[in-house]
Formats: sequence, C-alpha cells, structure tokens
Amino acid sequence: MVLDRKIAFIDLRDGSIEITPLSLDLREKFLGGRGINMYLLSRYYSSSLDPFSPENPLIFGAGLLTGTLGFGSRINITAKSPESGHLGDSSMGGEFGAELVKAGLSHLVITGKSKNPVYLLIRNGEIEIRDAQKLKGLDTVETQKRIRIELGDEKVRVACIGVAGENLVRYAAIRSGMKNAAGRTGMGAVMGSKNLKAVAVRGTLDISISEPEKYLRYYLNTLKKLMETKWAQALGKLGTPLLFKYANAMGILSVRNNQLTTVGDRGHHLEAEALEPYSTGMLSCFACPAHCRHRFSIEKGRYKGTKGEGPEYASIGSFGTKLGNLDLENIIYAVELCNLYGLDTISTGSYIAWAMELYQRGIINQERTGLPLVWGDGESVIELIHLIANRKDFGNILAEGPFAKKVFGEASHDYLLEVKNFPIEMTDERLPKSFALGMATSTRGACHMRSRPSLDILGLPNEVLKRIYGGSVSNNFSSYSGKGRMVWWHELLNAVSDALGVCRFLTVFSSPHALQYRQFSRLISLSTGLNLGAKDLKTIGERIYTLERMMLIRDGFSRQEDTLPKRYFSEPVPEGPARGEVILREEFDKMLDEYYRLHGWDQNGVPKRTTLKRLDLIDENQG
Amino acid sequence: MRIKVDKKKCSGCHLCEMVCSLFHLGVINTEKSAIRIRKDDLDSSQNIPILCNQCKEMKCLNGEEVREGLEKKRFIWAIKRAEQCPFDALTVFGENAYHCDLCGGTPQCVKVCTPKALRIS
Ligand code: SF4
Ligand code: SF4
Repeated sequence: MVLDRKIAFIDLRDGSIEITPLSLDLREKFLGGRGINMYLLSRYYSSSLDPFSPENPLIFGAGLLTGTLGFGSRINITAKSPESGHLGDSSMGGEFGAELVKAGLSHLVITGKSKNPVYLLIRNGEIEIRDAQKLKGLDTVETQKRIRIELGDEKVRVACIGVAGENLVRYAAIRSGMKNAAGRTGMGAVMGSKNLKAVAVRGTLDISISEPEKYLRYYLNTLKKLMETKWAQALGKLGTPLLFKYANAMGILSVRNNQLTTVGDRGHHLEAEALEPYSTGMLSCFACPAHCRHRFSIEKGRYKGTKGEGPEYASIGSFGTKLGNLDLENIIYAVELCNLYGLDTISTGSYIAWAMELYQRGIINQERTGLPLVWGDGESVIELIHLIANRKDFGNILAEGPFAKKVFGEASHDYLLEVKNFPIEMTDERLPKSFALGMATSTRGACHMRSRPSLDILGLPNEVLKRIYGGSVSNNFSSYSGKGRMVWWHELLNAVSDALGVCRFLTVFSSPHALQYRQFSRLISLSTGLNLGAKDLKTIGERIYTLERMMLIRDGFSRQEDTLPKRYFSEPVPEGPARGEVILREEFDKMLDEYYRLHGWDQNGVPKRTTLKRLDLIDENQG
Repeated sequence: MRIKVDKKKCSGCHLCEMVCSLFHLGVINTEKSAIRIRKDDLDSSQNIPILCNQCKEMKCLNGEEVREGLEKKRFIWAIKRAEQCPFDALTVFGENAYHCDLCGGTPQCVKVCTPKALRIS
C-alpha cells in the first residue's frame, strides 16, 4: 500500500537505524514529500542550529504519489540551509524518489556525522551503512557508476554529492543520474558535513493500489486532457529552454547581474532552437508523460566530447545572460562542470555575477580575484567553477556564498541581489509584480519555484482568473492588483504538489487547464484510499506553508525580510521592453497586506494564533 | 496484432511498465511488466523498449504440447520460455516470466506512450 511506506531514522554517529511506520494522522495533515519533511524539520529547527552541525537533520521525503502514476515522481530534500542560514529545501526529479518508494520507504531522517566517508544502501526495506573511502573525490556521475559496479547491480539508483559537497561549498547540490539535482539551498553541503557521500537505493516491491481499475481509467483520461494543452506539447518538444525566449522578449531576464533585463535580438543565440543541433533526444523523469529534458552532445570545437542532459532555462540564464555571456557551448560546458562537481548552477551563476559586478565597480580587483572577471568572459567562468568546487584561492571566498559579504565589505552588499540571504535567480522581477512578490515571500529565500504565479502573463480574461483564484486578479502582469492573492494561491498549490511529488510543470503553472486540487484529490483517493477533498488539500497547503513560515519567525524574520533587493526599488529598468519598470514601495506593501490577510498572518507577517489553531499547528509551533 | 517499437522516440518514462503491471495484477511494479525499458541514466545512449514480438513461429514454446493461441493470451509464463526466446524479449522477475498478451486486444502501454514510441500494427 502507498500508505505503508515507512520512515527511517539514521544516526551516522553510532550507526543506529530505526525504521518505523508513518502515522496516518501525519499523512492526513502533511501528505508526504515536502509536507512531512517540514513537519520533521520543525522538530529540530531553531535559530541557533548550525547547518553544519551533526544535529542538523538531512531529510529525504518522497511525495505521497511518487512511484505511482502521479505525474512525475519527485522527492524533496530538506535541512537547515548552510547557504542562507535559514530554511533549506529542494525538490529533485528523475528516478531516485520512485526507487525509494519501491524499496518500501518514503522518508529518511539522517543525523550525526560519520567518522569516515560512508554511503547508505537501501534495499527493499533494509538499510546498511557502507564504507565510501574509495568514492572520495569522485565526481557525481563516477560516484554513481562505481557504486553500481561495487554492488553488481546497474539498476541501483544513487543520490550523491561531488567534490563541492565534500568541500562544504555552501551551495553544493545533491545529484542523481546525469542531471537531476536537489540543487538549491546547499543540501549537498549538509550531506558533506555528515561525511555521507551517497544514498543508493534498489526497490522491487509492489505498490498496491486501492481501486486499480478506476484508477487506471481516471489516469488515462487525465493524461489525455493534460497532453492536449499547448503548454505540455511545447514543453515536450523544447523543454524549459522555451521560456528563455519569452523572458528575453518581455524584459524579465537577469542580464549582467540585473543591470539590464534583456539582450534583445542577440538572445537567439541562447533560445531553445539554438540547442537543437546538440540535442540527442528528449527524456522523461519517472512516470512523467511530458518528457521535457534534452540530452545533448557537443561533437566539435573547444568543448568537443561534452555530453549530458540539459541545460535548463535556469542554467542558461544563470551562466548566460546573467554573466553577459552568449556563448552557448561555453554555457553548456559550464553547466555540465557544475553537475559533475555537484554545484547548484543557479547559485553558482549568481555569486559569479555578484563578483563580476564588484569587479566592474572596482570594489574588488584582480589582486583579490586572481583572474579578470569581465562580463562575458566564459573562460574565466570555467576557471572559477574549478576554484569554487575545490575551494582554492578566490574560489574559497566565493564558496561561502552570501557569507562572502564579510570579506568584500559593506560596499559589496547591495550588489548581491538576494532575499533572506539567498540569491535572486536567472530572472528580473521588476516588470511582473506577481513574480516580484513571490520572490519576496518565498520561504526558502529568493526562489521562483515556491509560487511562480505565471497565469497573468498568458493574457487570459479577468473572469477566468477570478474563477481560478476566487477573487479578482488583474490580467495585466505589470499591475499590482490582486497579485497578493495570486502568490498566496500558488504557494499553497505548490506546497501540495511538492507534498505529492507531482511536477510543477504539470500543474496550474503555465496552463489553466493543467492539474490542480480536483485531480490531486481523485488520484489520492483512487490510489491510496485517503479521502481528501479539494478544500482539505488546500488547507494542507496552508498548513505546510505556515509551518515553514513559523521556522522563519523563529529565526527572527518578519515583514521586514519579505522584501526585494534594493535595485528593484531604486533603479528603474534602463532599457528594453521593461524599460522604466521599478517596484513602488507603497504598492508593494499593499500586495503584502493582502497576502498576509489571506494567509491568516498579522500585519507583521506572523501567523495569528487563530490560524495556527485552525491549521492544528500549535504543537509544532512549540517544537 | 503486435506492438511496434520506435526506440528513437522512447523518453524512458516507464509509464508503459507501470500500466502493464497495473492492468494485469492490480499493483504497480515495473519489474512485473511484459514490457521493459532498457535505460542507462548515466549515459546518453538510447532507451530501448523490449517486449514480445508476437512471432509467427513461437520458439519460446519449443518442446511444449500446448495450444499457441491459448498461450498467447496468458500474461504470466514459465521462465523456461523466456530462456528459449531468441530475442530475450520477455521480462523475468522472481519465479515468473512476463509475456505480452496485448491486454486482450486493447494494449494499455500504447495509451500512455506520449512520444509514440509504441504503436499498434
Ligand atoms: S500490450 Fe499490454 S501486455 Fe503487452 S506490453 Fe503493453 S501493456 Fe503489457
Ligand atoms: S511509455 Fe513509451 S516513452 Fe515511456 S518508457 Fe514506455 S516506450 Fe518509452
């Protein structure tokens, strides 16, 4: 049964392992994935918890529907973040989550620190801690290969860290397969701090289904409708790089650390179509009908022989326009290098962009950096990636992420565009106001995946938006009106889809006809027997989001930290389609007010006691 | 009827394996499916869907006194037959081999194969 999946508590200090059932009550309150992860994290979380201490729990949580016909099979990896110093959480696709479920488990809570490098082996409900001395220093793909050879089983799925994680680079990722990553918030660094090189899983257990016939019928119907949407079709053909063209045309790209927001016609160098000559086919995550991922191979030139998957839009932006770089092959190579080292591409690009702007302004010079950091210099970027992952020279400073502010001094602060000590990504949010608010309120710091309310850029009639959001929302994406509601609505939906393991791209994200609560509710009841209506699910979304918020409150955060980089308020976009756009403080505050009201938080952004009570979160709050 | 495979189109989603087991056994278990996807997620090689070719001359049944027509309609087969298949087309897992019975005439795997790597011919 889906609901029989267990949770394992693993203490690497003494090697103790405890495997227990997950209570039905917890499932009904938090579903699984990110939901249960947040419940677990809240038990350990405090403002004084050092992310690199053995007490920081590294939590793996497969979604409730992961491993079923659930539209993607994702897993969330959660801990206190060494990158931001606050809430850390990242969702990973691929096959690893489903494999964990096939092995009879859905959650792992790993604490302690092992004396020697180790990896975990999980096989059909049994867990073993194994020596990983020989895996030390290996890149993320080689690590996975070696483990398969050691176990003599090519079907083992592995999530691991590379050199960056071993070296505690604060934004190290956890990786599986050739490209899947729990990239953001430095979960790979937490793993490294535990001396845990990898988690290997093999599962062959049945996943029994409550009402198999009805379930299959319902699934086929839902699948058909989803695949008829324009969005799913475009995604299946071009993958996320298709978004680059829109972002560039709208003027919402990060160019040179957001000094500009478009590269105009020159953008065609980086569009999805430009990737096609390198593409060797499209790929899917486990149980995903959309197949949005490219496989690529560079056959000639400087980077000849580079092969892999991707790059995604986020990486193209982060190593491309954000760094003033339009050399697609260099970008592909940089991204692949990050993948092998186990570095988050978005954060790596962001910190390099920060350093480049500091260099441009003379706040740092070559004496400090050791190499020229000029916009568009792809070779220096490659060099920097090596230095960061190995924590050498200037790379050792950048490996500290936002904490490098201390080294660069006061004058550097405003040029690191961040929210809650976590850097802005490949986009600029001065034009679309819903995106801007979403960045400001995201519980893991600047992040487009917590909400990314993008329906207002589709030009849908206002009535359609009203029907979806249950209140009026302007269909003009530069307007502030109703955007607090939009962000609130998407935050809840995304919390639920992460708790289920459903991929963002298949939910109401860029198509109003994609999946949401109604479909989730049917899929849950037919596969697990749990009866949760659309309203119940929305309440679960509120519960997850408010619980995350409570952890930030414990860190001393409130309204003040729900803000945007100074540049967004003080510098209008200088040119391009978004020219003149800037965030008006007063209007921004109004959005926040509406947003807090809908969440049931007070004027300061602190969840009200009545809200905590309604969401049954009083206990968690005291944890 | 048989299922025609265009392996270049296979995205490796495993949905075919999932619905094959679900349709026949009421559970999802990609190991217990008549179709299996050979996929190396650490290499950019081609994914390959493998399943029974519905051969005219059934070498898999060599040495058995059975009615071919009836056997064709069975999903769970003995491992010995998988060993006799010249194409190594059947899935073997545990005590059983899994053979494509074409879902009794409405192949489920084809319905979920969105890139159209599987087709009825
Ligand atoms: S046709 Fe039916 S039995 Fe044959 S592989 Fe497809 S789902 Fe399985
Ligand atoms: S459903 Fe189609 S694309 Fe998916 S694994 Fe099977 S054959 Fe490949």
